[in-house]
Amino acid sequence: MKIVFIEQDRCLACRNCERACAFQDSRNFDRESTNIWVHVNMDHRTIFTLTCQQCEAAICLDACPTAAITRDPDTDAVIVDEKTCIGCRMCIIACPFGCIHFDSAKHIAVKCNLCSGVPKCVQNCMSGALHYADINELAAVKRHKSNRPRHNTALLPAKEDRQ
Amino acid sequence: MKVRTPITDGVVPTLCRMCDTRCAINVHIKNSVIAGITPFENHPVNEGRICPRSEAAIDLFYHPDRILKPLKRREDGSFIEISHTRALDEISARLKHLKKEHGAHTVGVWKGEGLGFYQQEGYARRFIRAFGSPNYFSNDSACYNGRYLGNHLVCGFWNAFPEFNQAGLILLFGTNPPICHPPFTRELADARENGTRLVVIDPRLNPMACYADIFAQPYPGTDGALGWGLINYLIQTGNYDRDLVQRHVIGFEKIAAYARKFTPQYVQAQSGIYAHVVETIGRLIVKNQPDISIFSGAGLEHHENGVNSIRTLVILSCLSGALGRPCGLYRPEPLGTGELSLDRTLPPTGKNPIGRDKFPVLYDIRKECHTMTAMDYMLGKGEYPLKGLIIAAANPAVTNPNTAKVEKALKSLDLLVVNDFFMTKTAQLAHYILPATTFLEREELHFYPKLQRVNLTRCVATVDGVIDEYRVWRELALRLGFGDQYFPWKNESAVNHWLLAPTGLTVDLLHNHPQGYVYKPIRYQKHLSENLPTPSGKLEFASPYLKQLGLDEIPVYRPPYHRRHTDNRFPLVLTTGARKSLFYHSRNQNIPRFRNVHPDAEVEMHPDDAAHLQIENGEKVHVISKNGRLTLRVSIKHHSELRRGIVEIYHGWEDWRVNFLTFDEINDPISGFPLLKGVPVRIEKAAF
Repeated sequence: MKIVFIEQDRCLACRNCERACAFQDSRNFDRESTNIWVHVNMDHRTIFTLTCQQCEAAICLDACPTAAITRDPDTDAVIVDEKTCIGCRMCIIACPFGCIHFDSAKHIAVKCNLCSGVPKCVQNCMSGALHYADINELAAVKRHKSNRPRHNTALLPAKEDRQ
Repeated sequence: MKVRTPITDGVVPTLCRMCDTRCAINVHIKNSVIAGITPFENHPVNEGRICPRSEAAIDLFYHPDRILKPLKRREDGSFIEISHTRALDEISARLKHLKKEHGAHTVGVWKGEGLGFYQQEGYARRFIRAFGSPNYFSNDSACYNGRYLGNHLVCGFWNAFPEFNQAGLILLFGTNPPICHPPFTRELADARENGTRLVVIDPRLNPMACYADIFAQPYPGTDGALGWGLINYLIQTGNYDRDLVQRHVIGFEKIAAYARKFTPQYVQAQSGIYAHVVETIGRLIVKNQPDISIFSGAGLEHHENGVNSIRTLVILSCLSGALGRPCGLYRPEPLGTGELSLDRTLPPTGKNPIGRDKFPVLYDIRKECHTMTAMDYMLGKGEYPLKGLIIAAANPAVTNPNTAKVEKALKSLDLLVVNDFFMTKTAQLAHYILPATTFLEREELHFYPKLQRVNLTRCVATVDGVIDEYRVWRELALRLGFGDQYFPWKNESAVNHWLLAPTGLTVDLLHNHPQGYVYKPIRYQKHLSENLPTPSGKLEFASPYLKQLGLDEIPVYRPPYHRRHTDNRFPLVLTTGARKSLFYHSRNQNIPRFRNVHPDAEVEMHPDDAAHLQIENGEKVHVISKNGRLTLRVSIKHHSELRRGIVEIYHGWEDWRVNFLTFDEINDPISGFPLLKGVPVRIEKAAF
C-alpha cells in the first residue's frame, strides 16, 4: 500500500503542506483543519513533521463504535465517513501518533484520506521531504539513508563547555 | 469578465510567475475555465512540485477586484471607466505635450515586479529610449541591483544561483530560502543528505536555521565584518587559493593588509558573532575548500554598506577557490536573443539620467536611474523637473522608502499612468490606470541562467477587453510617432519570433519543450582559459574603476548607521523586508486564504524588549522613527528568533506601510540602495 512518508531530514519547515492540506478540507489556509503538522521547536531548534501513517493495524479503526472509520478500497487509506461519525473522539484518543483532529464545527473526527490518491501535501512539498509511495519502496529509502555516513559531531561546544 | 481560452478542455504546460522562481506548471482548463494548476513533472527547477502561491494564480486571474477597463481619475479623486482607445489617445497626447513643452527627459518609465522581468523590462526600456528620455527606473533599485553590482565589480558577472547540491559547505547570508526561493530547499536537502555543512547568518532566526549546523545572529548590517574576518582567517592560516591570486587577481596585497585588523575578537565586537564561531566557520571553509557556496540574499543590500559587504563575500568565495566551480561563482552564458533595450543602439543624449551624478556606478552598469532621487526631481528639487511617469506594475507608494515623500512626489506629477491588476496605493494616485494582464495571458521567453535553459510560456487564457503589455507600449508608441520604427511587431508572438531569430531556436521548438531547452552546455572554470569580464580582465579585489570615481577601491567595512549613531530617542533597530510565506512583496494580500494566514501587520519583538516596555503579545503599539509613525500589533517572538534590540516589520503591507518609517536619504554610495534594515526607532504603547 502507498502512504505519505516524511523524510524528516529534508524538511525545512516552509509549512506549504499544512496549507495545501487545510485547503482540501476548508477551502482555506486554516491550520485548525490540517491533517499534517510541521512542529518547529525553537528551544531545541528542531523541525518535526507528522501525518497519518494509514497503519495496517489501525487502532482508530478498531476503536470506532459506529464503524465510521473504514479502509478506502481504492487507496487503502483509513477514512472517516462524515455521516456515520458521531463525534465521540474515541479515535482521537486511540491514535498513538495524534494524527486525527476534531472538527468542532461539523462535530466529527477528521484525518488524512490521502486526497483520494493524489496527496496535495506531497505536490506542495518543494524540498522533497514528502513522498507518496509504496511502503516497501520507502523502507528502501530509509535503509539507504541509514547506511550513509553522517555528521554526528556538533561543531560548536555547548554553552557550559565554553570558557 | 469574459474569458477566452485557446482550448476548451485540456492541459497546457507553462510557467508560474507568481514569483520569479518560475516553476513549471500544468494549467487545467475545463469548459473554458481555468480549473486547476498542478506541477509539471519534468522541469529541473521544481521537479514536479509547486507551492501554494502557484494555485493562487487562478485567484489572481479571476479576482473580483481586478481592473478590467482603463480608468481615469476625475477632479474629485474618483475614477471613471474609459475605453482603451480614449485612454491611449489621452495619455499619448499628454506625453506629447510634456515632450514639446518641457523635453522628453521630463518623462520616465518605472518597471515593477508584478508583471515579470526580461521581456517586460525590455519593452519598458525600449519605449522610454525611443521616446527620447534617459529615465528608466525599476524596482531593482531596492532589490537585486546591490547584489548585481557587488558581484560585477569583483568578477564582472553574477550567477545569482549556485548549484548548492555540489557544495561541501554552504554559507547563507540574509536569506530565507523556504520562503524566498522554494526550490532551493530541495537543493539544500540534497546537499545535506550528502553531508554538506550548512551555516546560516541572519539577524532573524527563521525556522530553516534549525536545519543548519551553525546559525549566527549578527547585528543588522555587519555581515561585511564577518566576511573580512573570514578573509583574514584564510590569509593568516595560509589557506587560500594562491594560484588564483597569482594569476587572476588584482589588489590582493591591499585586501590582505586591510583584512589584518579583522581578528575574531574584532569581528565579535563589530558583529556580535562570537569569536569562536567566526573561527569555527573559518575552519569549515578550510576543510571544504574549494567546494564552497556563499549565497547572499536581499538582506545584505538594504544597508548603506551593502555593496561592500557583498564584494567582501565575493572575494571570500574567490579566495576559497569557488570561482568557476558549480557550487560557487561560475559564469552562465546568455542565449543571445535580439535586444529589446536600446541602450547600445540609442544611448541617451542631452540631459543627465536621474541620479547618475550621485550614483554613477548604478547607471553605468545597470543603465538605470535612481528611484529615490527621482522623488526629488518630481518635487522640483532636481536638475530638471520630472513631470510624467508610467509605472508598470510597481507599487512605490508601498515599497519605496519614505512613503510620505513618495506620495507627495507622485501626487505632484503632471501625468502618472499606472499599469496594474488592482487599485494599489500607487494606482490610487494615478491619472490613468491601465489594466494589466497576468502571466497566464502572455506568451513570453523566460531564462534560467544557472541552467542555461530557456522556456517559452503559453497564453492560457485572455480576458475580453484587456490588452497585453506589449500592445499597450506599441499603441502608445504608434500614437507618439515611433511605433513603426521601434515597435513594428504586430503582437507579442511576432516579438518572440524576432527575439529568437539570431539564436537559431524557434517558437515551435520551444513550444515543444515545456521542460525548457538547454541552449548551451554549461562550461565551468572559464577563467582558466579566458579573461574575466572586468575592465582589467582579472578579479578586482581592488577596483581601479571605483577608485577613479572616488569610491572605495577595496570593500572597506563601515559599521552601519545604527552602530555609528546612538540616539536615546530611538533605542531600537528596525529591520524590514523579512518575507511572509504567501505574500510576494506587496502582492497577494487580497487573496482571502492567504490573508487568513497573515491577517494583519505585526511588529516582531524580543521578549526582553517587550517586557522592558511592559508590552504584551498582541498589544497595539506605535513604532516611531524620525520620519513617521506606524500603529500595529506586537508579536513577541521566541527569545532566540531576534536579537535583543531588533524589531522587524514586513515591508509589503498596503494598510500598514512600514516605509513611512524608513529613510530615503541614507544610501549605499555605489548602488544607491536605501537603508531598509537598520532604522533606529522607538516603540510606545498605544493609548486604549
